[in-house]
Amino acid sequence: MKRTSLIPSSAWVFLIWLILMTLLPFTLILAMSFLQRSDLGTIVFSLSFNNYEQLLDWVYLRVLLKTLWLALMATVSCLCIGFPVAYFLARVQGPMKSIGLILLFIPFWTNFILRIYGIVSLFGTNGLLNQTLLAFGLSKVSILYTRWGVYLGLVYNYLPFLVVPIYSSLEKLDPFLREAASDLGATRFQTFRKVIVPNIKEGVFIGSLFVFIPMLGEYVIPDLLGGAKEAFLGKVMVEQFFVLQDWPLGSAIATVLSVLLLGALWLQNRWSQKNQAQSEGLFHAI
Amino acid sequence: MRFRNPLVTFLFWFAIVMLYLPLFYLVFQAFLENPNDWRSGFTLKWLVKLFDSSALWVPLLNSVEIGVLSATLAVSLGTLGAVGLTRIAQFLPPLIQTLILLPILVPEVITGLSLLLFFLLCRFDLGFVTVVVAHASFSASFVYFIMVEQLKKLDPQMNEAAQDLGAKPTEVFWKITLPNIIPGLMGGWLLAFTLSFDDFLISFFTSGAGLTTLPLKIYSLMRIGVSPELNGLSLIMICISTCLVLMLISKEQSRKWVLKG
Repeated sequence: MKRTSLIPSSAWVFLIWLILMTLLPFTLILAMSFLQRSDLGTIVFSLSFNNYEQLLDWVYLRVLLKTLWLALMATVSCLCIGFPVAYFLARVQGPMKSIGLILLFIPFWTNFILRIYGIVSLFGTNGLLNQTLLAFGLSKVSILYTRWGVYLGLVYNYLPFLVVPIYSSLEKLDPFLREAASDLGATRFQTFRKVIVPNIKEGVFIGSLFVFIPMLGEYVIPDLLGGAKEAFLGKVMVEQFFVLQDWPLGSAIATVLSVLLLGALWLQNRWSQKNQAQSEGLFHAI
Repeated sequence: MRFRNPLVTFLFWFAIVMLYLPLFYLVFQAFLENPNDWRSGFTLKWLVKLFDSSALWVPLLNSVEIGVLSATLAVSLGTLGAVGLTRIAQFLPPLIQTLILLPILVPEVITGLSLLLFFLLCRFDLGFVTVVVAHASFSASFVYFIMVEQLKKLDPQMNEAAQDLGAKPTEVFWKITLPNIIPGLMGGWLLAFTLSFDDFLISFFTSGAGLTTLPLKIYSLMRIGVSPELNGLSLIMICISTCLVLMLISKEQSRKWVLKG
């Protein structure tokens, strides 16, 4: 009898490709993070945690704290702007729902560099904002090339990626819950606080993590919208590779970011399993 | 029931306007006599000049060639994977599921850096080939998921019938499966092409010194400052991207992926 393996041979082409072109490169980064850079800029094969210890040095710790703070502010802003957008999309009926989603996403399928250039042309030294201010006889403001430029870029580029998880959490919510709450005499605000928020908070939290962590590794936004003096984790990481030639240290930063992301993925799986178990339990109880 | 909450509706439309404003201003700027002054009057001269120069045609051609090749590679790989795995997709061990999701999930910076490291350690010359391979390596997973959706819709009895009538597995693939998944293949190809055409970061890391794609050209001009040439290129880039997205949205299979980002 012919032996049939679990995974058909055609799929192996794809899986081997993924192992070679995705897994192997990530493993190289991981391995590189434990190596050392010699004073001459070459790589020395001696295993150690030195690069990770170096990240705890005050120089890098300060960059890390600044980056965390900026990314946190940007994530919270995305939440504040994104929530009404997601709420509108979840509640509106008919064709407006898909039109709204498409409207939200078209800008994000244009090139990323163009979106940043759009921000430069609005807020730059001679941008639309400053031209308008001058026309009204006011003085120019410089938002770009400061941390606020980076902040604007982060909020603008990550907004839809936070709208989606909020939207899908709201969609999953049973519409009868809201009706039940209002039948029981809850005001709109009470319904929001006691019914909607507790039911979506896990989904929104995970969604925020998947926006927050990639923000930390952002390179182009701080490079083009932040000033030369503004240190940002992702920018520091890329500069280790291209400017300072310290690949092991750059790899260590990349590894930390990847581990954080895998942690968020793990949390998401665990929570979705728990929720499934809960709803199944509820089903059996009924 | 119609949704009536004027505040939420206003905030939604306000956010949409803010999202579009920068891009609309870029388009507007491309027609200005002086891009730094919106009252300077309109002209087409910058665009005409751009169409005569190699600044547009060389990067555009590179972008299209890279897009076509990497999309074709990604579709071949993703389809092979989906054909083999669709029936057991739910029972795949989490490790393999994570492996397939990895290129979609990991931030582009890290994908780009890891591929750069890989290419350098293998002593590949950075250039056209490395960019094509790098683009295919992240878009193959997108194609895989589109094709899994498409293949799930196929009636398994059709394959069985063909086999019962004496078709070999390869014959079943070429004569039964393939003709039925062509819409999915086209959607997947278009998505992979769009991803490649719009990509900046991975090209930036894996292209080496000699090669420019359209986004790379825009980036290098942007480092110098606002210029009419840059605005013209942006206009062309916006037009092409928007056309690609509208084509994608009109294809049912890939709509979900467009909206997921």
